[in-house]
Amino acid sequence: MKKIVILVMSVLFWGLWGCSHDMNRREIDEINFIHVLGIDYSMGEYVLTAIYSSNQGADAESGQAGKEEISQGRGQTPYEALQSLKLKNKKSVSIANTGYFLIGDKAAYNGIDVCLDFLSRDETVKMESLIFIIKDDNAEDFIKDSIENGQTVHEDLEAVKQKQEELITRNDNTLVNILNEMEVKTASVLIPYLITEENAFLLKGYAVIDQLKLADYLDMETSSAINFIKDIIRAFPIYIENKVGLSISYSKCKLKSTIKNNQIKVLIHLEFETMVKEVNTNQMIFSGESLRELTDKQNEYIIELLKKATNYSIQHGRDILQIGRLLENQQNKRWKSLKENWNERISEVQYDFEIKSKITKSFIMGNES
Amino acid sequence: MDGRINSEVFKKLFSKSGDVLIRPIKINQNNIIVHLFCVDGLINQELFDTAVFKSLKFDPYLSQCKTERQMMDYLLEGGAYHVFTKEETDYNLLLKYVLSGMVALIFDKEEKAIVYDIRKFEKRSVSEPTEENVMKGSKDSFIEVMRMNTALIRRRIRSEKLVVETLSVGKLSKTDMALIYISDIADSSTVNKIRQIINSIDIDNISTPAFIEEFLVENKHSIFPQIMYTQRPDRVSANLSDGRVVLVVDGIPFAYILPCQLPMLMQSPDDYANHFLIGSSLRIIRYLSMIITLFLPAFYIAATTYQSQMLPVQLALSTQAAKQNVPFSSASEVLGLLISFEILIEAGLRLPKAVGTAMSILGGIVVGQSAVAANLVSPAVVVIVSLAGISGFIMPNQDLSSGIRLTRFILAILAAVGGFFGLVVGLIVLITHLCSLDNYGTAYIWPFVDVEERNIRDTLFRFPIKYFKKGPLKQNDGKAEIE
Repeated sequence: MKKIVILVMSVLFWGLWGCSHDMNRREIDEINFIHVLGIDYSMGEYVLTAIYSSNQGADAESGQAGKEEISQGRGQTPYEALQSLKLKNKKSVSIANTGYFLIGDKAAYNGIDVCLDFLSRDETVKMESLIFIIKDDNAEDFIKDSIENGQTVHEDLEAVKQKQEELITRNDNTLVNILNEMEVKTASVLIPYLITEENAFLLKGYAVIDQLKLADYLDMETSSAINFIKDIIRAFPIYIENKVGLSISYSKCKLKSTIKNNQIKVLIHLEFETMVKEVNTNQMIFSGESLRELTDKQNEYIIELLKKATNYSIQHGRDILQIGRLLENQQNKRWKSLKENWNERISEVQYDFEIKSKITKSFIMGNES
Repeated sequence: MDGRINSEVFKKLFSKSGDVLIRPIKINQNNIIVHLFCVDGLINQELFDTAVFKSLKFDPYLSQCKTERQMMDYLLEGGAYHVFTKEETDYNLLLKYVLSGMVALIFDKEEKAIVYDIRKFEKRSVSEPTEENVMKGSKDSFIEVMRMNTALIRRRIRSEKLVVETLSVGKLSKTDMALIYISDIADSSTVNKIRQIINSIDIDNISTPAFIEEFLVENKHSIFPQIMYTQRPDRVSANLSDGRVVLVVDGIPFAYILPCQLPMLMQSPDDYANHFLIGSSLRIIRYLSMIITLFLPAFYIAATTYQSQMLPVQLALSTQAAKQNVPFSSASEVLGLLISFEILIEAGLRLPKAVGTAMSILGGIVVGQSAVAANLVSPAVVVIVSLAGISGFIMPNQDLSSGIRLTRFILAILAAVGGFFGLVVGLIVLITHLCSLDNYGTAYIWPFVDVEERNIRDTLFRFPIKYFKKGPLKQNDGKAEIE
């Protein structure tokens, strides 16, 4: 028995010892953690721009990270560029803790599948990392300009993420989600795009990725309409004739598809509740009639908003609302024949709107303004 | 050796022992002399004088007795008043009685003795438990005198079903031991097995509790306690009601409770003194603390040495910043600080209280502040080890705490060698080991295995008292009678 125990312990010990050599044993302070990785395509090669914290300025007692430093790598593919970046660095480089991947405009035009493939095969990468497109710019310049302007890129991106979460219930631009959406060939992939305005990062809307290549940038209203239809709205402001400001506190959207005489119809049923946030008129708005009028106006406002998304889909023949997936779920048998020429059929989809709303919690400071 | 009961024999036997008294007492005019045989310091001198000696010297009937036999008969019938009076003819038993503090009157011609139990020796008074303090609840605890301890238990269970068997262990020490159980609740096979083990103990002297524990523990190589000790009579009575068996050893201010399961060791009397939701919360905190103290140092080593991707981004960055300029590996830092922590504990236990306080301050400053300032350890490691250390002391049972502390080292070493892979291997081995432990026919982690709704009510959560009308042990057969 003793011999067996000694044998098992020896195998265990030497097994672990052996494994430790293959498990990339590396002390945490010997690694440069890339916080943000920019992916660009320039002059026929991919350029990766990595931001990591150096030890300079780091405070051991408070745990304050050091200042941001940049490192670059170039290669024929993003993976080759990453290897070049690793070779240039004094320390071991890890994308295990990278929270944000920024894809430059040209790289996105060249195809996001190439940009993201090496990430999808890395076992250490965080699948909840967020992906953004840099509008009309490459990630390298975007990062360098931001640092020159005194911005801390990963902190500012964190702020963008938090602002995003104030408006919507979930971030769909995670790496895992984008990789999943890329699998659906019939629908466009939507990735939020970033711009810089007054030394701050702003999310203006979605970039439309069609056939895995950047196709267009949507404006803010169209992007918001998509969020309504995706049923991820947490809060949304509505301004009616510059007199009354309302904020959506609850929203529920359901899509229902029907096919009659080969005509695809999609009913967008939206229910939402708003709260009055601002009143800039002497007109009495809290009477029953005024509230009904206000409700009708906010319904119209939302319908107009939703129409921007549906019209874009019809005009450009891009399935930005994932109607194909809806038909696959609701009209499974018909979908098999529809998907063959879906790019043409998406423009023929007829959208109907059914909006129900109410104004609630409007009398916090009394019953009249 | 001459096995006769005779004063000369005993005088010869104890010729070199100054504390053993063998004094002749002349009783009447017929020159009948009896010999007083006792150990100085173990008897109640006052009681002996009033109850025995006075009768011997001044009782008119005794002065008229013509033979030793007549005298013995009179004394046994109440001539010298004392509750415990016994005629003894066995040489060995007489020796045992006298050496345990009784007084014997030796009648040489009859080769017999009369024994009086008038023992009195210095003892502590019943005081508050030092190791198992509770906010609410009784404040008495066991002392070194077995009979006093059994009395404390009897006071709480006034049932004729409570059996207190007296046994003796140790060839030289002849230490008294009480095997206590409730006859219609305890499991007969457990009682018989424990009795059998005690009777088979072949040892000269019971000098420390470990001597008994090692004989009673079934899996001697396990570092997890398989026998529970307590200073608290209320805890003993609760476990007796649950069908367990209790051992009280003379000279040891604890009671042992068998069979012992892991959930028992995580319970505190305070759980029952508070509202059941508060009691349950305290238990959950204890289980969480066990997880923290076991795995936190190992997790830190694995996460900072192998799988740093397991850490959230901000935590990884702050950990990295905290570790800069520290020349040692995370494993060396953690293991070094854990060892320092153990040294501080050990030193604190051995030192006098006044010096101990000074040492605690010194240790706290040196280990906590100076080591960080000198870049010997990172602040994160100090926090990790302190948290693990403090969590370890939340365990109500110190034996369990010690076992967990040792396991913590093993897991930390495994994490240092194989990262999370090593940690998981350690976890699997630990769980396998705990599952394989069997304690007098009951699994060590019962009732987490072989789950019955009735038994699980007093484990991770403490259900309201109304659910505890019956004891939890499933194997009670109610046949634990004296053999």
